[in-house]
This record gives sequence, C-alpha cells and structure tokens, in this order.
Amino acid sequence: MSTKYGRTSRSSAFQWFAHRVSGTFLIFLLITHFWVQHFDRVTASVSHSVISADEAERGAMPRYSEEAAEAVRAFEVRERQAPAPSGTPAVTVQGGGGIEGDAPGPTHPPEETASVTPYQVLMLRLADPVYAVLWKGFNLLFLLFALHHGFYGLNNVLTDYIRNDMLRVGATALSWTVALVLFLIGSYSVIVAGL
Amino acid sequence: MAHPSDVAAQPVQRYRLRVGMLAWIFHRLSGLALVGYLVLHVWGLKAITNPDAYNALITSYHAPLFKVGEFLLLCAVVYHALNGLRIVLIDFVGWSPNQRRLFWTLGAVAVVLIGVGGYPSIAALIDYLNG
Repeated sequence: MSTKYGRTSRSSAFQWFAHRVSGTFLIFLLITHFWVQHFDRVTASVSHSVISADEAERGAMPRYSEEAAEAVRAFEVRERQAPAPSGTPAVTVQGGGGIEGDAPGPTHPPEETASVTPYQVLMLRLADPVYAVLWKGFNLLFLLFALHHGFYGLNNVLTDYIRNDMLRVGATALSWTVALVLFLIGSYSVIVAGL
Repeated sequence: MAHPSDVAAQPVQRYRLRVGMLAWIFHRLSGLALVGYLVLHVWGLKAITNPDAYNALITSYHAPLFKVGEFLLLCAVVYHALNGLRIVLIDFVGWSPNQRRLFWTLGAVAVVLIGVGGYPSIAALIDYLNG
C-alpha cells in the first residue's frame, strides 16, 4: 500500500484480529472482576457505603456485609490457632467506622453494618493458597489484556489524529512506555499482595 | 487547494453524523475514558502492599463523587463492551446487514445492564444526600 507516508510492508492484520479477540476475552474477564469486587457479598472490596472526605479524615471506613465480617473473624481465629508464618505480623481486628456516634455519620445500607477493614477483606480473599494463585493468575492476565487492548486502541486514535510523523512516532513510543511501566507496577502489586 | 477528500489537509477531522458514525465516535470517546481510568486504577492499586494506604484508598473510593464516577464508569464499560461485541459480530459473523438493528437491540441490553448494575451506586448516593 502506498500512501503519503510511504510504503508499508505490514498490513497490521494480526493486530486488528488480536484487538477483537482481546476485546471479546476482556468482556469475560470484566464480568468476573465485577462479580468478585462489587457483587459477591463476602469478597467485594467496594461496598455501598458513602463516606465524605471529612468522615474519612476522622477514620471512617466502608462497612461490609455480616457475611464478610463473619468470614474475616473465622479466618483470623484459624490464623491465630495455626502458627503464623515467620515475619508476618498478626492482623489485629480494628473497628472500621468507629465514629458511628458522631453526627452526621457515614451512610450505610442496613445490611452492611459490619466493621472490618477493606484490607482484612482483601487478606481473606488471598488467604486460600489455591484461590490466591488463581486470583493472581487471573489478575495478571486481566492486566495484560486490558493494557494491551487499551493502549492499542489509544494508538489507533493517536495515529488517526497526529499528522506530524515525528510527533506520531513519539506519541506511540511514549504511550507504549507508559503501558510497560504500568504493567510492571501492576504485576508487582498483584504478586506481592498478601505475601 | 487541497482536494476535500485529502484528509491530511483538513485542520480538524470532520465526520458525517449517522447512527453508525455516532456509535463509532462514542466507542472512541468511551475507549479513551477507559484507558484514562485504567492508568489511574493500576497506579492507585500500588497501595495494595500497605494496609493503611490500601484502607485509605478503598475508603476514598466511597466518596460521594466516586459513586457518580462509578456509575459513569459502568456506562462507559457497558457501552464499549456491547458496541465492541457488535463490531466483532459484524466483522467475524457477517452481521453487517443487521448492524443498525443490532445497535438498537444492544442499546436496550445496555440500558438494562446499566440500570441493574448502577442502581446500588445511585441508591447509596441518594440515601447519603437525603441524610
């Protein structure tokens, strides 16, 4: 194909195909992600509490369902009975949202009243070694696909609108560098979480 | 004088607006928004290695403004996913004769998904605003 920008030997057909495959796969990854993080009553990190910046400053934390709190308590009892792995400080139960007496307090839906911290809910999810490995594998895959799909799409947009050759190449190089940095940071977060 | 079809000579890209073109423009805009969110999300989750920082991060996700953001994020995700699915069906399954009908059908599915999925965020926000 000959254009203003010269001849190109690459058709980019594979990238075009891969973008559609990764997009379809991301739909399934996203459904799982939403389910685990937002809808599962035990593992959801984000609950329905609404907490203003002022309340957060005074130490308010989101409330979780009674199921989640119960699972965290049971997990911590098990942890205390089994000798903790060396170097791992025992998780102390601390009441989140301990300012409930103050008015106006954070708003909690009636079914979400348990005070466990977001970190305790996260540790509960990572406590099962099998689940932790699955979860880490899932998130690494999710991270890779999301970043590739996102930054490939971003580059489609950049190459459409940046008409200066140097700028376009620069923007492409910069955006993929950002993607690589995010992949390294994200992988690190996923791998070390709960270790 | 540049020929009107010489895209590179136009100072600003202009598009003829039809349903398909609007679908494509929204696909781009929602895609860009999602990349922006992805960058912030991956960057923010560095806090996962530190209990206090992680608790503070998740607590900040519960701010009133974030509930609105959560809802807008869901809208962008649902639109981008379903329109992307439409593109895949057109490209791979040859549904292009049905693409307009497909757009409105998936539009209805999107409204249902956004309604059901976004209800908790909006209900929590309304509760909060009512005190």
